[in-house]
Amino acid sequence: MYQRSVIAPIVALAAAAVLSAGCASSGVKNPSGTGVTVLNADEQGFVAGTGVESQDIVSVTDKMARSILARPQIQNAQGTPRVVLLPLENNTRFAVNKDLLLTRMRARLNSQTQGKVLFLARDRMAALEKEQQLKQSGQLTSNGDPNVVAFQGADFFLTGSLDGSSTRNARGVSDYILYTFRLIDARTSGIVWEDMAEIKKQGLEDAAYR
Amino acid sequence: MFRTRTPAALLVCTSVWLGGCATGTGHADRDRVLHEYREAAAFLQAARFAEAKPLLDDALLSLGGLTAGVDSARKARGYFHSESSKGFRGEPYERVMAYYYRGLLYWMDGEPDNARACFRNAQFQDADAEEGKYQADYALLDYLDGYVTAKLGGDGSDALRRARAVARLASLPDYDRNANVLVFFDMGRGPSKYAAGEYHEQLRFLPGHSAPTAVNLRVAGLSVRSGPADDLTFQATTRGGRQMDYVLANKAVFKGTTDAFGNAAIVSGAVLAAGGSHRHSAADEVGAGLLVAGVLAKIVSAATTPSADVRMWDNLPNYIGFTALRVPPGEQRLTADFIDPAGRVVFTREVNFTVVPGGRDTVLYLSDRH
Repeated sequence: MYQRSVIAPIVALAAAAVLSAGCASSGVKNPSGTGVTVLNADEQGFVAGTGVESQDIVSVTDKMARSILARPQIQNAQGTPRVVLLPLENNTRFAVNKDLLLTRMRARLNSQTQGKVLFLARDRMAALEKEQQLKQSGQLTSNGDPNVVAFQGADFFLTGSLDGSSTRNARGVSDYILYTFRLIDARTSGIVWEDMAEIKKQGLEDAAYR
Repeated sequence: MFRTRTPAALLVCTSVWLGGCATGTGHADRDRVLHEYREAAAFLQAARFAEAKPLLDDALLSLGGLTAGVDSARKARGYFHSESSKGFRGEPYERVMAYYYRGLLYWMDGEPDNARACFRNAQFQDADAEEGKYQADYALLDYLDGYVTAKLGGDGSDALRRARAVARLASLPDYDRNANVLVFFDMGRGPSKYAAGEYHEQLRFLPGHSAPTAVNLRVAGLSVRSGPADDLTFQATTRGGRQMDYVLANKAVFKGTTDAFGNAAIVSGAVLAAGGSHRHSAADEVGAGLLVAGVLAKIVSAATTPSADVRMWDNLPNYIGFTALRVPPGEQRLTADFIDPAGRVVFTREVNFTVVPGGRDTVLYLSDRH
């Protein structure tokens, strides 16, 4: 009687302890890993911060591309406007691959305008100039007169900036980012188009990191 | 029978509870950022900048994500997991340095605006210090923020004003937009962490130290003396309390209370059991129950881990500084003498580099680490 009344609770407690201690993989989240999850680029994944993320890039560049296409200068252009991309200026606290935004906009515009806008590959000028020099020196064949400069000038420059305002205190982190894009007339320096997108995010770190 | 089986059952229970499990530690993952910090700093000190970049990039990816809902962080707040079970990100002064180093590497690569983003983010890591006057008070980070802005044709005067307002170690010169060689320098050994308190639940810092307190730069006939702009020991020790300190304090109280209860229960139980005149008496039963409860309380107390996380980025400098020079184009050799307060040269470093005419800024990083 004595043994049963005391030992049984002890065994139960030991069992509870074993259960509460968990299995051999306690302390490891998803010990067997997580399978590949395919997300749309405009979806927020389970890895998220308050900085510039893929869904922001997609939504911002889509909006800008639509906005540019609606401009009369593009819609009603006589001939094909030639556009050169100028690097964006990053004024936020986030280091970003700025080319990503302009590259996506260029690809979007190229695919949607079907040749209505021509982008000039100024970022490849070194290779282009070398190619031309080789043609001029006769080392490479040429379909036209290699001594005639055929590199085209820009009608417009497409550029923009990222500006941000950030707050951090005991209640969390908040980041506001303003994306602005401009189309500048290369002849007059006039800004013929400008649009913006703004995104604000906030969150609070786990107390273990505060 | 009871006397032989009870300790065995308790031992099983204790060993399972306290021992954890084979894969429960996850050292590699939770210390990944720490290793990246250390390796990146070592590569920087060895002037192997290309190898430092991916390490810092990966570490900053971790810092950039919010930790809300992260399992290891939740466990670190629990009674039975130590704070060091969380993925390491470092205290603010360590996170600041990760962004600072990545910033100078961006500048080195001709991306001053991304460099500025890193300097701003570095300052942001320090923005939630407990006392207002210590919030975002790295003079060098504001100075560099404004300098990049000035270099890019903007107005960096606000940032320069902020930098001068918090500068403690050196007076900060006006921006020279035409300077083409930018020298970042580190000196000494940074602060180190230790745990204080009865259960090591309090995170404390030992001050860092540095024999050199200034650097004398000689290049192309120029000789410029420059002092540090920020002191990591000061930064580490002026943050004030952390939220996690309250969690650890609660854990320590819980550990102490369960331990005291265990002691009292064991003693009371032993007295009752020893005093019982008859086998199977009520006193025996209560005494045995108290003994069991006391031992369990002791086990719970032993399993409670209030110790503070003292993992640290241990190859950081104590001082960081910056100076900008105008150097003629061509092959150049810079000699940096790190000098102590008595004016003695403690260490000399020489760097060969090329200044490209009309090219981007040349960024140099110098450390007194051998």
